[in-house]
Amino acid sequence: MRRRSAEARLVTRREALAQAVSERAVELVVSALDVNALLDGVDLNAVLDQVDIERVLDRIDLDRLLERVDLNGIVERLDLDALVEQTDLGAIIARSSSGVASEALDVIRSQAVGLDEFIARWIGRLRRRPYTGPPGPRDRLQATAGS
Amino acid sequence: MTAPPRGVPASEPPVITKEILQGKCAGFASRFAAFAVDVGVSLGVFMLALAAISFAARVLTGKDITWNRDDVWVILAYAVWAFIYFAHSWAASGRTVGMALLGVRVVRDDGTDASGRQAVVRTLALPLSFLLLGLGFLGILLGGQRRALHDVIAGTAVIYSWDARAARLRFLSRG
Repeated sequence: MRRRSAEARLVTRREALAQAVSERAVELVVSALDVNALLDGVDLNAVLDQVDIERVLDRIDLDRLLERVDLNGIVERLDLDALVEQTDLGAIIARSSSGVASEALDVIRSQAVGLDEFIARWIGRLRRRPYTGPPGPRDRLQATAGS
Repeated sequence: MTAPPRGVPASEPPVITKEILQGKCAGFASRFAAFAVDVGVSLGVFMLALAAISFAARVLTGKDITWNRDDVWVILAYAVWAFIYFAHSWAASGRTVGMALLGVRVVRDDGTDASGRQAVVRTLALPLSFLLLGLGFLGILLGGQRRALHDVIAGTAVIYSWDARAARLRFLSRG
């Protein structure tokens, strides 16, 4: 019984020693290596030529990948105004939706909204309640909960 | 929407909002402007109809018909026409000509499409908001959901139905 436990302890010590030696050896090898020189020696183009991109793409589950991407967050971070002003996107939008009538409509509606907001802000000031923007209609859940 | 800061160049769109207003409750100015347009359109069509009737009567009978605007029948005919104009427009698409122009729309108070019955009740209740010395409209200014008396009675609300953000992009793209 005693002999067995002594053997077990010996095995554990031996394993720990082997682990420590191998870690140290790896450290010494890595520090001795010149990674830059190693990379210089690698012909990346040749490596890439051997990679079958189509096969790699086939193995990627795009749906799963897109599920993990917060597209709304990305769109929120886009400065659409700057994008439209600085790129041909503006010209495309203008071509697709231009017209005197739509321009006049935009102006009339935006002026009316501006006036709506002006009135609402002043009412808010008079009532000493900060105006936080136009409210939305009661949603269905609230409606059923309230009734 | 926030007021443009001082010193903003003149090319900056003055009031076109950066927010997406679609589905938000419409304010007093938009609704009043839409109503004014509707009164003009309904009156214009009604007067055109009277003129057409006069013309037809003169052609067919040789007699001139003159319309007196204080005549009870003329007022009654206009009331019936106005009822049809508003109730039918709200029941069919949730918007009248003026509302389509101003980009607002009548919906149920939970944001879904208003029913035909609600359109009729709203039309019948609309004069009430006027008859109470205009107090029926105070809800648009002071209410949480900008609802007038006739909206509360009919269970409706008026929302913006136009895409303000798209309008802003169009404005910027023209510049």
